[in-house]
Amino acid sequence: MAEAAIHRRITPPGFGEQVADALLSGRGIWPAVPAIVVLTVVAVIPFAILLSLGFSDFEMSRGAIISQTFSFSHLTNALTDPLYWITFQRSMNLALSTTALCLLFGYPVAYLFLTGGPWTKRLILVLTIAPLLTSGIVRTYAWLVILGGRGVLNSALLQAGLIDQALRIMNTHWAVLIGMVQIHLPVMILPLIAVMSRHDSRLVEASENLGASRIGTLRTVILPLSVPGIGTGSALVFTLTYTTFVVPQILGGGNYLNAATMIYEQVVFSLEWSKGSVSSLILMVTCLMVLVAIALLTNHFTKWTKGHDA
Amino acid sequence: MMHGPAGPSNTVETTAPVLGIGAVGKRFGATRVLQDFTLDVAEGEIVTLLGPSGCGKTTLLRCVAGFWEADGGTIEIDGQDIVDVPVNRRPVGVVFQSYALFPHLTVARNVGYALRMRNKPRAEVAQRVASVLETVSLTGFENRYPSQLSGGQQQRVAIARVLVMEPRVLLLDEPFNALDAKLRGAMQVELRQLIKRLGLTSIFVTHDQEEALTMSDRIAVMSGGKIEQVASPDEIFDRPATAYVADFIGVSNFLETEVETGHVRLPDGQTVMTDLTGGVKVMTRPHNLRLGPPEAGPWKGTVSFHRNVGPLIEYHVEASDGNVIRVSAMRQERDCPVKDRSQVSLSVIDPASCSVYPG
Repeated sequence: MAEAAIHRRITPPGFGEQVADALLSGRGIWPAVPAIVVLTVVAVIPFAILLSLGFSDFEMSRGAIISQTFSFSHLTNALTDPLYWITFQRSMNLALSTTALCLLFGYPVAYLFLTGGPWTKRLILVLTIAPLLTSGIVRTYAWLVILGGRGVLNSALLQAGLIDQALRIMNTHWAVLIGMVQIHLPVMILPLIAVMSRHDSRLVEASENLGASRIGTLRTVILPLSVPGIGTGSALVFTLTYTTFVVPQILGGGNYLNAATMIYEQVVFSLEWSKGSVSSLILMVTCLMVLVAIALLTNHFTKWTKGHDA
Repeated sequence: MMHGPAGPSNTVETTAPVLGIGAVGKRFGATRVLQDFTLDVAEGEIVTLLGPSGCGKTTLLRCVAGFWEADGGTIEIDGQDIVDVPVNRRPVGVVFQSYALFPHLTVARNVGYALRMRNKPRAEVAQRVASVLETVSLTGFENRYPSQLSGGQQQRVAIARVLVMEPRVLLLDEPFNALDAKLRGAMQVELRQLIKRLGLTSIFVTHDQEEALTMSDRIAVMSGGKIEQVASPDEIFDRPATAYVADFIGVSNFLETEVETGHVRLPDGQTVMTDLTGGVKVMTRPHNLRLGPPEAGPWKGTVSFHRNVGPLIEYHVEASDGNVIRVSAMRQERDCPVKDRSQVSLSVIDPASCSVYPG
């Protein structure tokens, strides 16, 4: 018995175990350190350099900066240049209308997921997630085939006798919008489904039992409870579409200039890094402004979640 | 008193029933969840559907509420068939197991929901909400959200939310499940008194026999989608119609024996009259048995376990045939201190209170 007792003696943890325990305790920022290091090297530092270029006049010689002086001139030039205004407005319009359309088309799908049987749910999930498994570029090129002058859509419409000559959809705002909505729809639907299926299905039954019609239940129960999903989905879709590059480039042809394509041209073709830097800054700040607005709106409509300590 | 296997005995009501359920069936795939279910509920009566999970009690409730469609049969309220009436037009109020309060609405807006859905004028809504909140003693909680309320308060909101629309029939789906044991007991008494005061015709679903005995005017004990017995709580407890009911409600001892010309002989020598023949089971409750010194009678056994259950002492006595018999006695009646392993004799206090079932 005495020997057994010795074996069960409480032993202090070794040094390695102590370190691991400290790292995984959830206290402090230690678990996030690897991510912070990587992001600092690949994102924060380059972005800081780019910003410094945006706020200075510099001279280069043989690929190296030889003199640099602080200046607001690039920012003031950008803010007074109508081209910037038009471009950012176009980006904003595209992003806001894509977000609105994704919500318009995505919400009914999420509602169907909520009310449907197990097979409906499965089908919706497969159809929502499957497109995410193919590259956005592939999906965008698919639209070329459909929307092109001799594409699937035009051939069908011509053959049905609905139009006399092919519609010009490719390389217009409409082609970009159609592509954007299709590509970003899953990003809207998934948060909506996640939030809507979190709530007790008895709430819907209770609402009907208390005399609400289907519309009444949707308006007074399902919609208010899905606001966090609407907020998340909108924020994601807006961020992705406002800064999008591939779709406008392919479906808009060379002549569809939005914020991201403008920055690309400034940095890659005209090598005006200061302009690119200032454009990036404007893009980021305006994007954050919209995100803050979405967050404030979401908070306003979900006040009930914050009253726990009252 | 003797008891044959009485079938479901539906009391004939003198006045027309408020809720009439006739031959309702429901199947899910190959499983028959409800079979030929028939039950009438009178004005102001509380009928409890009691049974283990999967016995069909919740299914019936959902069919009456209209969440599910019955496969056949009739469901009538005040003589009018409601089978084809959509959920939101049935004069039925449901109190859900988890209350299903709207988390994004305050107490007042939860309670006023049914009235707003009926487009009642704002002043009327405010006045009726205030009055019903007073009924359930929640005045002053109007602007709280459900998450800011205790379990008992949430339950009262759930009841108020249904009461405000003055339903003809109240359906309660295990409304005490989410409460802790002590609060549960108090809320049972409170809710029964409230329903009785308002004279609401109610169906109450539970798997908890104590709850059923507390809440009900009548209890319908269910098994496999059918009613085994409908009767008052006393009748169900004292004279269970079938061995299943006897086994489900309270603690019961079953003794297997043979009928000898119109009566059965108990192991202690006393007799119980019966109409049955052949092999039977005699059921006696633990409180109908008495322990005595080993020389006092022919039915002998050994105490294998005992425990104090509040005011009662419960004994497990292993009889000579290997049966474990459960005996209970009031604590102050403990005339001879009985220890585990001690030899005792058993006797039935009142043979007439035993029930006899086919074996």
